[in-house]
Amino acid sequence: MGETIIDLQNVTRVYQQGDVGVQALRGVSLQFESGEFCALCGPSGSGKTTLLNLIGALDIPTSGRVTLEGHDLSQLNRRQLSHLRRDRIGFVFQAYNLIPVLTAYENAELVLSVQGVGDTERREKVMSLLQAVGLDGKEDRFPRELSGGEQQRVAIARALASDPAVILADEPTANVDSDTAKLLLDLMQALNEQHAATFIFSTHDERVIERAKRIIRMVDGQIDNISFPGGGS
Amino acid sequence: MSRVSGHSIPVIAWRNLWRNRRRTLLTLSSITFGVFLSVMFTAMQDRNWSDMIDLAAKLGGGHVTISHLEYRETPSLKKSISDASPLAQAALRQTSVARVVQRISGPVMLNTASESYGASFIAYDPAQEDASTLSFLDSDALLAGRMFANDNEKGIILGYKLAENLNAELDNRIVYTMTDKNGDIVSGLARLIGTIKTGAPNLDARLSLLPLSTVREIVAYDSDEVTQLAVFIEDQRDSEAVAMLLDSVIGTQNLAVLPWNISQPDLAAFIALKLGGTRFMSAFIALLVTAGIFNTLFVSVMERMREFGILMAIGFTPLKLFSLVMMESLWLALVGLLGAALLTTGPYLYLASTGIDTSAILADQGSMDVAGVAMSTTLKVGIFPESLAVIAIAAIIATLLAGFYPAWRAGTVEPVDAIKLV
Repeated sequence: MGETIIDLQNVTRVYQQGDVGVQALRGVSLQFESGEFCALCGPSGSGKTTLLNLIGALDIPTSGRVTLEGHDLSQLNRRQLSHLRRDRIGFVFQAYNLIPVLTAYENAELVLSVQGVGDTERREKVMSLLQAVGLDGKEDRFPRELSGGEQQRVAIARALASDPAVILADEPTANVDSDTAKLLLDLMQALNEQHAATFIFSTHDERVIERAKRIIRMVDGQIDNISFPGGGS
Repeated sequence: MSRVSGHSIPVIAWRNLWRNRRRTLLTLSSITFGVFLSVMFTAMQDRNWSDMIDLAAKLGGGHVTISHLEYRETPSLKKSISDASPLAQAALRQTSVARVVQRISGPVMLNTASESYGASFIAYDPAQEDASTLSFLDSDALLAGRMFANDNEKGIILGYKLAENLNAELDNRIVYTMTDKNGDIVSGLARLIGTIKTGAPNLDARLSLLPLSTVREIVAYDSDEVTQLAVFIEDQRDSEAVAMLLDSVIGTQNLAVLPWNISQPDLAAFIALKLGGTRFMSAFIALLVTAGIFNTLFVSVMERMREFGILMAIGFTPLKLFSLVMMESLWLALVGLLGAALLTTGPYLYLASTGIDTSAILADQGSMDVAGVAMSTTLKVGIFPESLAVIAIAAIIATLLAGFYPAWRAGTVEPVDAIKLV
């Protein structure tokens, strides 16, 4: 494992639903190191997605502190948060969430385009990523012309395009069949090993949990248990 | 297939526009039709009023009238310009001035053997003037007889109704009486050599034409003395600017240099009223079109909030999302304008060249005149380039304004909330 890239200190998140405050996270303290392949699991409502949103700079904690590569996220404005997400975080969503008017190539390229990466470098990188995720020859297809598994592979390529410090995947195998789920997991595992990319999943899927190097179990907004199936610490 | 380039906002915006083809086409048709209506209304007005102003200039005082300071308030042959030729030459040296003609005009009493009528006269030099400075010198306006052959003949030409009122026929003798330069009553004798139909009923019943030199002699004017210099310019819209220029170049304490809208205030007020109506109608059309565009963009943005959340999550800044929706608005405006150009060109060219003959509709009225100026019964169009530019810019601004709030909503999306939306 490498250095600590994500540090959560006593993080709470309370959502206001009418007059009632719902505590989604209750004083979570946690660190992630570079190169991790980590699964967040737990029942629905246990706080997995909330935790991912906070790590991904999509949300800010009610109290506590989230630090990504030394940046205290609560100190950044909307624009700075956008740039941080663009440059250092990759997202893979449960529902793929590709941009429907862009082809597979263009979806994978979008982050690089927003970053202002030059044409040649962009093209080489995107083609190489699409090849890595097994979509060679399908780069000009629109999302509607791709299967669920193929769309998720484009989403993975998009998430990896900017060489992010961490890739956050929210239930990445929830909407695909078993074979596709296995392919996706093989792919992400390979990318984790080859690119040393940090993967953090929220999942109910035992197949994902089985492959994780660290499993964080959450219950009622708190960390219930952390295990290292591979025997690490 | 062309791929999205590094600067992807215009391409993504363009593709977004066609996600709901039917809705976009409906919005584009409202922009296209709104611009079409605005262009056609404005083109009718521009052409109509411009022709009318040119015609008014050719019915009397020119686009700019130079006269004695008090002549307009109390028209009298005592209020004259004594050195007309040097003034005319000085005016002609200005690049915007096309022609300058000298005239004597004023009230006159006409008598035939059986009738007497008060009328007005214009004395002009037939060698200096033609239909481009006096519209009724056109051969079509001559009902009977002929126009003047020279500047000092003893003839008179009457509006055909005035001739009827005087029971005058060609070659009849007519005595015209006026007050001369010194305030004395003087008379001249002339034979009726022609009758004209100006198209303006009040002129047909009141106007008489006389040769300039003949009148000069009768009213005791010097050889270079007139009551009026009528200045004609290429574009009537420059009248006020030319009047100011001439006033600064040749103006004296005793001279008034007046643009047509001052010398013919009734006509100017009528045109201003009509232009106000057209602008109100254009603004109303713009408001309706803007509301339609706003509705389309707002619904389109609200439908895509989840997608905006995703874009925000992968690194789009609020400004970039705002720009994306504004770009969609701009595309709508540009495509709408292109559609308007295609829709408008054919009808515009036809109406500009051929026009629509409305004489059958106006048959009951015989002819139309506004503030003494006859309006053509052929409806033609002709839009000034600046009017076209104003309409195009207004359409773009209206579309961008319509897109502003939806774009702001897109730019302020909270990704964590938007991504939850299904």
